[in-house]
Amino acid sequence: MTALPAFASDILALFEERGAGLADVAVLQPADPFLDMAGEDLRRRIFLTESETGAALCLRPEFTIPVCLDHIAAQAGTPRRYGYLGEVFRQRRDGEAEFFQAGIEDLGETDIATADARSLADAHALLMRVLPGHDLAATLGDQRVFEAVLAALGLPRGWRTRLARAFGSAEQLAAALDDLANPTRSSAFGETVAALVLDGDADGLAGHVAGLMERSGLSPSAGRTPGAIARRMIEKAELRSVRLSKDAFDALKDFLAIRVPLEQAADALAAFESRAGVALGSAMELFAARAEAIAAQGLGTGVVAYDAAFGRPLDYYTGLVYEISAGSSRPLAGGGRYDRLLTLLGAETPIPGVGFSVWLDRIAALRGDAP
Amino acid sequence: MTVTLALPSKGRLKDDSMAALAKAGFSVVTPKDERRYRASVDGRDDIEIAFLSASEIARELASGTVDLGVTGEDLVRETIAEWQKRVAIGARLGFGRADVVVAVPDAWLDVDTMADLDDVAAEFRQRHGRRLRIATKYWRLTQQFFSSQHGIQVYRIVESLGATEGAPAAGSADVIVDITSTGSTLRANHLKILDDGVILKSEACLVQSLKARTAQDDATLEEILKAVRGA
Repeated sequence: MTALPAFASDILALFEERGAGLADVAVLQPADPFLDMAGEDLRRRIFLTESETGAALCLRPEFTIPVCLDHIAAQAGTPRRYGYLGEVFRQRRDGEAEFFQAGIEDLGETDIATADARSLADAHALLMRVLPGHDLAATLGDQRVFEAVLAALGLPRGWRTRLARAFGSAEQLAAALDDLANPTRSSAFGETVAALVLDGDADGLAGHVAGLMERSGLSPSAGRTPGAIARRMIEKAELRSVRLSKDAFDALKDFLAIRVPLEQAADALAAFESRAGVALGSAMELFAARAEAIAAQGLGTGVVAYDAAFGRPLDYYTGLVYEISAGSSRPLAGGGRYDRLLTLLGAETPIPGVGFSVWLDRIAALRGDAP
Repeated sequence: MTVTLALPSKGRLKDDSMAALAKAGFSVVTPKDERRYRASVDGRDDIEIAFLSASEIARELASGTVDLGVTGEDLVRETIAEWQKRVAIGARLGFGRADVVVAVPDAWLDVDTMADLDDVAAEFRQRHGRRLRIATKYWRLTQQFFSSQHGIQVYRIVESLGATEGAPAAGSADVIVDITSTGSTLRANHLKILDDGVILKSEACLVQSLKARTAQDDATLEEILKAVRGA
């Protein structure tokens, strides 16, 4: 399947209308950025090869990372919008290993609410263009609101990061909550170490750890440092003395169960704030501003739903995530904000980013186009 | 027709495998020339013995070039993609016991469990500018254990084909996944096994290839399995 889908020209026309220049992205990509960002699990799902000199290369499994890498390499100015349309390559059980994706990456726009709303509107407009007459429904989630809830409930930092990592995976979140409600037994330290931990003596502990590292031949700077290990020991000891209170646990469950049409979401969150007796601060302001901007984009009532538990457990997503489906179809478009990604990929200054990708094979199937 | 039974070609595993077969009533007649890699079973011209390395045995079972083989469960699960579709463990033999484990430096006093390692991995990039590195020859087992079972996504595997336990001190990795029978090599290298870090308790197994074969060969294979299980 290497011929462009029949409706590709409609998508290219939409890119032009919406000010997204077409990005020219190499098919063969360095593999490390993908494995670094998405994790080793991706290795099973991409097509890896090697250059003569042993560098790991892969067929591009998606476009966001290559577009960002090219943007950084070109030192292109911001804000800038990139459109792309082309084949991606993945090993998957259902469906072909090479298929088309298209999308828009919006880099460097500092008005977050506006850029978020425009991304969602772009994705929606693209699907409307190629699937006229289908009922499209979007689900929206917000990692930042979840993190604000964790902070507002007064959870210690160690717990907040653990729960934030699990956001978007019901299974992992349940496991993490269970862990917090029933902490594992304390580590059995020797007398010296136990006393240092009890006193919260970070310097003394770090010295002790440095001694252990020296004896094991471990470099104190190449990986984890004695100071970091000492800090985490003390943090862990502090966490053990706190319990996740029933109130906090119930409030979390209450929050995660919120699922409402977007136009009612700000009110639903405000109601949650007063029920739980917390204030979500700037995360709430951004959420409300974004919801208004989405309405201003003309995404009418009933199209977008807010699901408080919806997220993606990848550490470069920072705020908005969304999906668009038609009826009970699998997601046709997926998007989100990845403000951490460009820095992780080597940008010298932070560059905010938001974007989406659509699955052209799923669209073709819905259109009833011949494969 | 004949059934091909692959046995480890050297060391303790070879001796123990032959002893297990002898106990089940199949005595392997080794050729006079020790360097030959084929042998037979006394009084059975329907069974052929092939001597291969333990990891080759797993591969050959997967591709169906041998019918039966003695190899470690670790190699079956590591070498063969979707192993349950291609081979079946016919009998556990009780020798060659060893665990595939996650081990971290002793000096990581704050890390006892996979949940601790998850915390450390999540912050690694931010603190050290790179992902946590795991040295191992067990790509598949490591990915399944870390990603599927413990939801840890952000780490990199560094392939290690020997002396994996030395990787943290050499600076080529932060933690390791390796096989150990007594744990003494790990201790000597100042590494500790995580409380919930046992990925697999492995032992030598008699493994059958799930390929189609003649009714006669099937009967021979069943006879061998039954005898070994009963021995």
